[in-house]
Amino acid sequence: MKNTYLQLAQMVTGALVAVLLAIHITVQQSDVVLGLLGIKVAGPTTWGSMMERAHQGSWVGIYISLLAFGLFHALNGFRNILLETNLSASAMRILTGCIIAFGVIFLILGTYAPIALFSSYR
Amino acid sequence: MSSDAVKKITFRVQRFDPEKDRKPHFQEFIVPVKRGTTVLEGLLYIKENLDSSLAFRTSCRMGVCGSCGMLINEYPHLACHTQLEEFHADRLTLKPLPNMPIIKDLVPRLETLFEHHKSVKPYIIRGDNAEMEKPTAGYIQKPHELDEFLQFTYCIKCGLCIAACPTSASDLAFLGPQALGQAYRYCADSRDEGQDQRYQIVEKDHAVWNCHFAAACSEACPKGVDPALAIQLLRKGVAAKALRVKKTTAPALLATSLPQAKPKIDVPEFTVKQK
Repeated sequence: MKNTYLQLAQMVTGALVAVLLAIHITVQQSDVVLGLLGIKVAGPTTWGSMMERAHQGSWVGIYISLLAFGLFHALNGFRNILLETNLSASAMRILTGCIIAFGVIFLILGTYAPIALFSSYR
Repeated sequence: MSSDAVKKITFRVQRFDPEKDRKPHFQEFIVPVKRGTTVLEGLLYIKENLDSSLAFRTSCRMGVCGSCGMLINEYPHLACHTQLEEFHADRLTLKPLPNMPIIKDLVPRLETLFEHHKSVKPYIIRGDNAEMEKPTAGYIQKPHELDEFLQFTYCIKCGLCIAACPTSASDLAFLGPQALGQAYRYCADSRDEGQDQRYQIVEKDHAVWNCHFAAACSEACPKGVDPALAIQLLRKGVAAKALRVKKTTAPALLATSLPQAKPKIDVPEFTVKQK
């Protein structure tokens, strides 16, 4: 049932990425959105604002989750596309290994920055 | 147009003889047609009167055997099931079914279709081996249980669904809508106990999860079967099995274990005097 679990995870991560990405985009554009309503807030993309969010555990969790779910969803989707290119089983195994390694490396790199920032604050 | 009126239609037929040709080419034939003439009748006219070397498959001539599937004006049809009037054109382009190698002219190689079909175990699988080897009675099936899969039994294995499928076009190892539809047909059969075996087969790479759900298979099917629906229902079953939320039902009982039927009511005596 390996493929079934992968496909179910693909669907779940797709939905989660949509929600987390919506939160991210809304926050990044909050000055514009709230500005339309006549509420003035400090720019969410300023250094101070970014650092403030980086020091909040909930935001660190949101960004690491977005990275993890996004990486899984994108790389598993990419593997599904490669499956249709009629590669041999051995070539597909090698590519799958490369995709997993790529995902793990980028997950470690991507989580390092927010965790390091969060740890430095505490 | 009266039924006797004759019109001339140009058949542009793809020819390919692997012993002579390096690649397929087209040849044109003028065919006299009248109201109700089918594409197959046009091809038979060519074979009998214009070029006996033209190769195509045909058998029942009534949309039952599934032999004469071909690409007519770039869409998969059964030649015997398609009347020339449908196209409102003076020219018709005929090609063999795509997504399959060509043997000759309009004859595709169907081995892959049948291999994929066999791979999903398209037969009733039961735990009681003794009964399977030497059947003593039929299995009981209620009408609503039959309705679960009835439409999928109408598949004639013509290959039109595979010819229409965009995934089959790009992924040569894809099981295809025909085989996946038949996998569902047997999984949904109340007499069957082979779901787990088939789920293991269809959940591998190039199978049920690789369908793009274009639903071109269902549109092309000449028998009204909906393989796209079967694939979605198969996915539902496989996912339920993986998540352990699938309801387990007892397999159908042998007809011999039925309780004794009530005795029939006696036929009333005739009220009119018999001669």
